[in-house]
Amino acid sequence: MDDRPTLALKRGAADAGGEFRSPALERLVRALARLPGLGRKSATRIALQLLRGAGDPAEELMTALAEARLHVRTCGRCGCLTEDDPCAVCSSASRDATVVCVVALPVDVLPFERAGFYRGRYFVLGGLLSPLDGVRADDLPFARLLERFDVDGVREAILAFDASVEGEATALYIQRLLADRDVRLTRLATGIPVGGSLAYTDEATLLRAFQFRRSL
Amino acid sequence: MWLLEASIEGFRNLIPSRLVLSPTVNVFHGGNGQGKSNLLEALNYPALGRSYRGARDDDMVAAGAAQAHVAVSCRTDNGDHILFECGMEKGGPGRLRIDGEPVRRRADLVGRMATVVFEPQSVQLAAGAPELRRSFADQSLSVLDQAYFRRLMNCHRALRQKAALLRDARRAGASPSRVRAEAEIWNREIAREAAALCESRATWARELDPRAAAIYAEMDPGSACLKFVYLPSLEACRRGLAGEDLAQEILSELDYIGPHEVRRGRPLAGPHLDDFQLLLGGIGLRGYGSRGEARSAALALKLAHGELIFAQRRVRPILIFDDVFSELDKARVRRLQQECAARHQLLIATARPDDVAGWKPDGLRTWRVEGGRLEELP
Ligand SMILES: Nc1ncnc2c1ncn2[C@@H]1O[C@H](COP(=O)(O)OP(=O)(O)OP(=O)(O)O)[C@@H](O)[C@H]1O
Ligand SMILES: [Mg+2]
Ligand SMILES: [Zn+2]
Repeated sequence: MDDRPTLALKRGAADAGGEFRSPALERLVRALARLPGLGRKSATRIALQLLRGAGDPAEELMTALAEARLHVRTCGRCGCLTEDDPCAVCSSASRDATVVCVVALPVDVLPFERAGFYRGRYFVLGGLLSPLDGVRADDLPFARLLERFDVDGVREAILAFDASVEGEATALYIQRLLADRDVRLTRLATGIPVGGSLAYTDEATLLRAFQFRRSL
Repeated sequence: MWLLEASIEGFRNLIPSRLVLSPTVNVFHGGNGQGKSNLLEALNYPALGRSYRGARDDDMVAAGAAQAHVAVSCRTDNGDHILFECGMEKGGPGRLRIDGEPVRRRADLVGRMATVVFEPQSVQLAAGAPELRRSFADQSLSVLDQAYFRRLMNCHRALRQKAALLRDARRAGASPSRVRAEAEIWNREIAREAAALCESRATWARELDPRAAAIYAEMDPGSACLKFVYLPSLEACRRGLAGEDLAQEILSELDYIGPHEVRRGRPLAGPHLDDFQLLLGGIGLRGYGSRGEARSAALALKLAHGELIFAQRRVRPILIFDDVFSELDKARVRRLQQECAARHQLLIATARPDDVAGWKPDGLRTWRVEGGRLEELP
């Protein structure tokens, strides 16, 4: 894929030929700098560490990357990241299939699994309604979500979205979809800081938000 | 609230400097284009987390520099000290800290430093476009009530989402009924926030009105009575409803115009179209007022906002005047200056020495601003 157009949007040294004599090193730094949370400065530090660090960290990273790329897939039922399809949660008999926690992104599952109190299953939407980012209702797997209700006999759906305008809208949309079904629909209590991100919520806060989840 | 000390670096044409301010009156003299407004813009930056002139961070970083820093330390009305540190970067996100703690969202900053700014643009408040009055209302209410700012951001966000939905749907020729069903989701959020916003705006205008009228009467004794009223754009806001009832009514109204919005491909109603009106003796200042009347009315409104901050938060805002006094009657100006100085810390920039000539309030400090350099005068 030609990545020049996106690069042109980045400012600073990336516009010009770059600051390195080596085009290969320059390419590596640019690729790293495109990762979330990395600026050009950190990307450069990481690149140099990978290439010159003790114990050939580049080799280790390449192997890990290749394996992850080969083995990691999304679970066909819930959309979580997994090596087995269906994932461990979806195939476990001890997880309650009648309770489903609906989240926006695969990372949002992690705080629940880390905290360990949640015994139901998940459904990953892959995003929130946001026309500004080109995401409309047709772009999210709502039909597959409904299927889960009909096939698995789900009785309660817990909507665990960030407390953002988009999180509210998506919750509202799902509420509409489920209006004529006999299910309990709940939303995490506002323990999650406003505008805060679910993925980075600590366990105690999450547990409280879960216990005091409100019915919609 | 008092601005005690400031240090400024890499900001527009200002030479890096530290200044210690007087808790009473501070005057910055200088010719046109020397940096007076730049200085006031820098000092007020922590109040909004951005320029009061609406400039982008990019424009404020000095030509040739990569970053600008403004640190401002204040004493609050209950005797605490508070330190604001602001970093602006060319092409990057700004950085804000309060007492060393990073501030991630502007909502956590707005209102912490209470100021009232009167600058050349403010004169347009009475006679200019609705947007100016709306943004005055929004800034004023955000200082008075943190929840207001949060709601405003949410409402704007939902409106922008709906606008994007309508625009893209029109381009793609999507089915109108499905677009409406989706727009309705955003309408609910808009209605919920709008109900609270419009109620706040109505109350605010009612409380500002008598205060502005009293100040105007003092500035221009014998003149007709000044009136300030809220003109909500939503029909639902004119029926005296409140809370959940108002939100419901707004939702029905948005529903009603839904088909038109889908056809036109953009939102056609909402609190983003509200306005306010200033009247003198029952006649709208917009279109009819004289320049002097418009200027005095705008000033009265700003000062009334200052009184409201004190009435509701027990905080005396810092008053910042950028070249306000030209065109106003000398004797009135002096009376106004004295009254403001009796209650507030004042920062005054002026290109005309006679605006403050002969005025020697206690604690007065004076600077000359020349080519971006600050020099304190004895
Ligand atoms: N980013 C910048 N870098 C360098 N200089 C700048 C920058 N932005 C503005 N200036 C300069 O600042 C000067 C204007 O300063 P300012 O607006 O503070 O003037 P002033 O003293 O308020 O004048 P007036 O009396 O006309 O209002 C202009 O000369 C302009 O070129
Ligand atoms: Mg100026
Ligand atoms: Zn699964």
